Amino acid sequence: MSGIQLLLIGGVAAIFIYYIARFRNALADLIILGIFSAAAIFFIIYPDETTVIANKLGVQRGADLLFYICILFFIFIIVKLYARIRRLETKLTEIIRQRAKDEAKKTE
Amino acid sequence: MSTTFNHKEIFVVVPAFNEQTVIRDVVSEIVAIGYTVVVVDDGSKTSPAPYLKDLPCYFLQHEINLGQGAALQTGIEFAREHNARYIITFDGDGQHNANDIEKLLTPLQTNEADFTLGSRFLKGAAQNMTGARKQTLQIAKLINYIFTGMRLTDAYNGMRALNPKAAALVKISENGMAHATELLTFIKKNKLRFQEVPVNIRYTEYSKNKGLTVWNGFRIFFDILLNKIFG
Repeated sequence: MSGIQLLLIGGVAAIFIYYIARFRNALADLIILGIFSAAAIFFIIYPDETTVIANKLGVQRGADLLFYICILFFIFIIVKLYARIRRLETKLTEIIRQRAKDEAKKTE
Repeated sequence: MSTTFNHKEIFVVVPAFNEQTVIRDVVSEIVAIGYTVVVVDDGSKTSPAPYLKDLPCYFLQHEINLGQGAALQTGIEFAREHNARYIITFDGDGQHNANDIEKLLTPLQTNEADFTLGSRFLKGAAQNMTGARKQTLQIAKLINYIFTGMRLTDAYNGMRALNPKAAALVKISENGMAHATELLTFIKKNKLRFQEVPVNIRYTEYSKNKGLTVWNGFRIFFDILLNKIFG
């Protein structure tokens, strides 16, 4: 096993452990994260397998396929985060507005 | 319908963000006519409260800066809760003339409109208007037309008047400058009767520095676009 493979497997394992230790979410999350981590480790050990899948989808190299998937994934994350920021902004506005109205002063 | 009214029932909402040097003049001018003034400070670095000393008005403060749209909504809600009959929005940078308020109110009092919008282009040219500003307003007008299908002579004029029906329906969710376009969408969606009314704009050095830039025009465009996507 090459150095980069060890580094990547270590990274995936660290993220998995950190997520479980930090968030302790529902079982469904754990299963999904487990499957993703296992798949990541599998493809790190057998990188040629990604090329097999890529060829089936009409992409020549496995690395290219991964690149395309990553782009899609990041766009999805940005959209999700943006929607969340907007929701938070709306809530923050409501709270600040309510306080401003409650504490209105009348100057003479 | 009678056009006599009690000035105190007319609430003028003045959003203010870092307007310390002019806010007193703006509020004094409106108070002198007898209207009720609601100043909404939108998280200015230095509170304008000391500058409003001795002036009879309501003073509301956002703890952090949210944007002009948010300040207007706060003021409008406050005015409604205090039984305002008509609500006016009026910029805090000194570019509007308090004497124009009556012109905005007339179509509401005669029940010809639910919502009136000030326009600097209906009668004569605005004083000291720069070419860059005209261009920005052209972009803003185009943005309004794309998103609302409404052709107005002025796009981002801060002077507006709402009757109780319009005030009850209005809900500005665009905290930033895009609220001006959002208000037009709101008028259209609720099938409100609206009119443009000529108002004078004073372009002082101060207000020119505070006004819209071309960059604002593009930001507004993206704000509206994202709002359409994410609701």
